[in-house]
Amino acid sequence: MLRYIGKRILQMIPTVFGVILITFVLFNIVGGSPAQQVLGPHAQADTLESFDEQRGFNKPLFIGTRTTTRAYADSDFERSAGDWQQQNGAVWTNGTLILAAGGEYALPVKFALRTDCDYELEMEGRSAGFPMFGENQLKLSKDWKKISLRFQELEKIVPGNAPVEIRSIKLRRIMSNPFDSQFMFYLNRLAHLDFGVSHSTNQRVSKLLLDGIGPSLMLTVPVFFVGLITAVMLSLFCAFWRDTWVDRFFVVFSVALMSVNYLVWIVGGQYLLGFKLGWFPVWGFEDPRYLILPVLIGVFSGLGAELRFYRTIMLDEAHRDYVRTAQAKGVSRLGVLFKHVLKNAMIPIITNTVIAIPFLYTGSLLLESFFGIPGLGYLGINAINSSDVDVVRAIVLVGSIIFVIANLLTDICYALVDPRVKLK
Amino acid sequence: MSEKGNSLWSDAWRRLKKNRLAMICLGVVAFYTALAIYGEVVYRYYQAKDQTAFYQKTDLDQAYQSPSSKHWMGTDALGRDVTQRLIQGTRIAYKVGIITALIAIPIGVFFGCLAGYFGGRVDSFVVWLYSTVASMPGLLFILAIAMVVGKGLLGIYLGIGLTTWVGLCRLIRGEVIKHKEQAYVMAAKALGLSWPRILFRHILPNVFHVIIVTFTLRFPAAVSTEVFMSFLGIGVVSEPSWGVMINSARMRLWQGVWWEMTFVTLAIFGLVLAFNLLGDALRDALDPRLRTEGN
Repeated sequence: MLRYIGKRILQMIPTVFGVILITFVLFNIVGGSPAQQVLGPHAQADTLESFDEQRGFNKPLFIGTRTTTRAYADSDFERSAGDWQQQNGAVWTNGTLILAAGGEYALPVKFALRTDCDYELEMEGRSAGFPMFGENQLKLSKDWKKISLRFQELEKIVPGNAPVEIRSIKLRRIMSNPFDSQFMFYLNRLAHLDFGVSHSTNQRVSKLLLDGIGPSLMLTVPVFFVGLITAVMLSLFCAFWRDTWVDRFFVVFSVALMSVNYLVWIVGGQYLLGFKLGWFPVWGFEDPRYLILPVLIGVFSGLGAELRFYRTIMLDEAHRDYVRTAQAKGVSRLGVLFKHVLKNAMIPIITNTVIAIPFLYTGSLLLESFFGIPGLGYLGINAINSSDVDVVRAIVLVGSIIFVIANLLTDICYALVDPRVKLK
Repeated sequence: MSEKGNSLWSDAWRRLKKNRLAMICLGVVAFYTALAIYGEVVYRYYQAKDQTAFYQKTDLDQAYQSPSSKHWMGTDALGRDVTQRLIQGTRIAYKVGIITALIAIPIGVFFGCLAGYFGGRVDSFVVWLYSTVASMPGLLFILAIAMVVGKGLLGIYLGIGLTTWVGLCRLIRGEVIKHKEQAYVMAAKALGLSWPRILFRHILPNVFHVIIVTFTLRFPAAVSTEVFMSFLGIGVVSEPSWGVMINSARMRLWQGVWWEMTFVTLAIFGLVLAFNLLGDALRDALDPRLRTEGN
């Protein structure tokens, strides 16, 4: 048994890694740095850079020694002179920037470069003379050539006695440790259970998660149990009356329930029961009375699918041999149903139940935002609306990991109940 | 397709025809499809002419008209005809249902086929991939993808498409594993056919019914998700999607403007119900082994 559990835990690791990888790819690679979006279009480059520094967005993605810096945007002089427009003596013509002889030209950086690391200047250009970059020589020749130059302190470009023609310039920051990447930064923070800071509320994400989980559970746990019990009872009812109009009615009824859009349940319930009839408070989270309506709506919206699922299970069991044996022995129909069928159906029911546990955690996105319950669903929707990446990522990640763990627990429960599972 | 293949489909069709409920649903689906095509034609027409379509034109004098012979389903807050907007909503729902299927089905079929056929490391990789994706918390993950990609239809397509291939992949993988051992595959291998040919020309047609059933059952789910996302303002923004309509109708409902809400609700209900029932019937007709008792 222990060996089996150990094996399953080992199998869990790749999945957890996969989940971390997916969230990383989604938010860091596809999404990119949210700095501009968060700080607005008029934010200064150094503010953006420090935002990135805090969140690790100014590092290479997985591995690498070069990274871009916001101090100098890559300039390709194909279309325009870019940041060099204001420079005296620099002339842009036809896709080339010409630095006239005899002058001194500073790279138009947006903020002072860091002193704790090296930079690299990549340049495509040509010159007939001996241009210098501070003490260093820019090794350009008469023909177009790409050169790169590593330096510690920003110097001026001095073309000397012949003009320098440039097609493109890039500035890269050099990482002393190639593994000091965004991915490592992410893993490292996760290892410390640090989910970052929500930029819209400026609170730690871990605190937001802890605050939100209580209200979420208060909503979803009753929904879960009431729904489960109702669905199992109704499915037994169907099994008892199988092949009659009662059963057929419930089949159609469950599909109909499934087809009503979730939004409609909420809007309709809130309007009819909360507003028109005034039975329940419409919005808020003050005492348990506020939870009744959302719980009711939650149960109803999920009932169709659950009833259908459990009915199939019950009917599967009801056609087994042991049922016939029990009937032959003279056990009453109700006795067969509750003592035999229900007991055997418990295994798939439990599986389904454990699998549903992670969904308790995210709560119900819509129910929470509609009824003003300050849970994780509410938090998640707000975070998505305000592009609060750290919060969304944390909720997605924690949800997935809970799911993986719930899966593990299901398998262990299975193995405990049914020894054949271990052999597979 | 061979004679046997034809008889499978005609057999299924015969069984489906006997199911009265399924035929009604098929009719309903055909009706919605016609509406969606009509909606698309109208949309394209106004796009080509570069004009504001009549369902987008506001006329404040006509606001909040209850259903009448002129406006069958009344008008909304800006005096736009609800019927026409519903038809446009149908168009968007169909687009979402079809395009997400076009993303999800090839991914699911491709990975499922490879995993089932080759087993071993390929299988482990695919199982890892889909169990990872399956671990992500459904709706929130879709919303997160949409958030990252950006608001609009593209976010919806990618969000739903990239997350819903898992179920199909699992089913196809299981089916291919079963078929791999069968005599016809052995025969094809003995003839020296290449694996893509065996997999996609011989095995795939035999598991095709799984794809059809999955598509029919995934369609309404995708539509519901789209409604939900548009409602939250993450999906469709300026077009009359059903979710957008519910969102605008919900506040008016409290002031007694019931028609917009009611008709949108009925439209969604009809579409989803018809597809769900049809999917069940198709599954029963195409794969009698999967049939559950009592239906």
